Amino acid sequence: MINYLKSEQYRMLRKKSLHLTSLVCLLLISAAGAVLAYFGKTDPTFPYATSNFYYSNVLGGAGLIILVAFIVNFSLTGKDTTVLKNTISFGIKRKTVYWSKLILTFIYFLVLCIIGLSLLIGIGETFLASESGSISNLLAAVANMVPIILSAFLLIHTLKLLNMGDVYILVILLGIYGFAGNLLWVVAKKFPFFKKLYEYAPDTLMGRNLMGFMDKTAQIGYPYFLTGGLLAAAAIVIGIIQFSKKPID
Amino acid sequence: METVIQTAQLTKSFKGTNVIKPFHFSLFKGEICALIGQNGAGKSTIFKMLSGQLIPTSGEIRLFGKIEQDKEDARRRMGFLIETPAFFPDFTAEQNLKYYVLQRGIVEKNRIAEVLAIVGLANEKRKRFKEYSMGMKQRLGLALCLLSSPDCLVLDEPINGLDAEGIREIRNLLIRLNEEKQITIFISSHILTELHLLATRFVFLKDGAVVEDISKEALQEKSRKQLIVTVDDAAKAVRLLEQNYPAISYKVLPDQVITIDGHIEDGGEINRLFTMNGVTVMEFRAEARNLEEYFLELVGGAAI
Repeated sequence: MINYLKSEQYRMLRKKSLHLTSLVCLLLISAAGAVLAYFGKTDPTFPYATSNFYYSNVLGGAGLIILVAFIVNFSLTGKDTTVLKNTISFGIKRKTVYWSKLILTFIYFLVLCIIGLSLLIGIGETFLASESGSISNLLAAVANMVPIILSAFLLIHTLKLLNMGDVYILVILLGIYGFAGNLLWVVAKKFPFFKKLYEYAPDTLMGRNLMGFMDKTAQIGYPYFLTGGLLAAAAIVIGIIQFSKKPID
Repeated sequence: METVIQTAQLTKSFKGTNVIKPFHFSLFKGEICALIGQNGAGKSTIFKMLSGQLIPTSGEIRLFGKIEQDKEDARRRMGFLIETPAFFPDFTAEQNLKYYVLQRGIVEKNRIAEVLAIVGLANEKRKRFKEYSMGMKQRLGLALCLLSSPDCLVLDEPINGLDAEGIREIRNLLIRLNEEKQITIFISSHILTELHLLATRFVFLKDGAVVEDISKEALQEKSRKQLIVTVDDAAKAVRLLEQNYPAISYKVLPDQVITIDGHIEDGGEINRLFTMNGVTVMEFRAEARNLEEYFLELVGGAAI
């Protein structure tokens, strides 16, 4: 596994498009902060030059974070998977391939998220009006987001390795992380049982998390970990089982 | 003799259709075995099952006598080139091989330069894979096969896209590897004349089943088809043939050439018959069917 990790790392470090995308993400975070700070300085009545508003935009942009997760995942599970036959025919186990690619892409994504979060807090606390407790409020909300985003990352990884088309993957992500709650709400009107499931849908939880942050009452809660954990486990189980018997062409 | 590849009751079905019928096969160390069949006969499916790209529906594969978990390790002693070679398009040949050197834990520092030199790509190592011609891609695929100094090569259409000189080079390379390093080779190609020059054993496949498994010597023996005799007096020679072999089938061609169907085993006697009766024999030879004719006769029809 170590040798396989080394080779994939060699490949990943030479992915210019990945590093460029990461840079763009960080620039966008900086640009958003810079724009808010600029208007805050030039217009005293501008109400949004606060760290809370700045942070809420990131917390409300879970969809964009999942999109970044998709792009990072693409670096090792994109078109390059055509070379997998060389790896499999050398006797490297499919489980090794699955976990190695996951570990590397996830570490990259994690580092990018930590840099992004540090940049966010740095800009928010330095250039924008900040209230006391805003950082702890932000960190609690971010902690709630982590399991949901992680499950999305794992799901993308599994679907990419199973060679599913990008459009299908985006539709599935949109369905689970964008509309599942709304759908369950509609179904719950006829079948009350679904009301409970609605409470645990990813988009419901993300909406509640944002509201909690806006109200300055964000707390780390178990439903986020329960939903994220179940989705992540399902993605891993499906990935390992399906990938172990998938034809590699 | 050591068995390199052994399969028993190996089958593969796709959506209920049996693509490979129970396949029993053994490949022994030092052999160059050609797998011959029409498009869709199941050659690539067999190769892919051997390489682990496809999971067999049933049956067993032993590589160097190993099964299950140990089989994965045994694959490290093999080099597979199945269908088109796949590499990272934006990497150079050197970078692509470096990726596999890391992956395979190869410690020899000059190995990349060595294999690139062997396949004739030493001067093209800094070119990106996407800029390579089909023949160069094929050569790089072979270089990858050789990277980990394998004991067995499994090659599916390795000379695809190569020009005549390239084909000859690869043929000579494979023969050299087989003779000098005792590398066992399991190969398929639609260019049967090449296989005829290269292989020491031929396995004919039709609709996923082996129809014949034959050594080069036996094949040559079986495919000898007709005697071709050039004499000074064809009319007299024919008369002698009819008198001594009443059921003989022959043709008289221009320039006193007679072709006799079959009767290979009677060649010596026929020659003696002519000379004893004053017919001068200028040329006397047995003509063989080529591999393509033999194959077409065996599987009955369309070309590969």
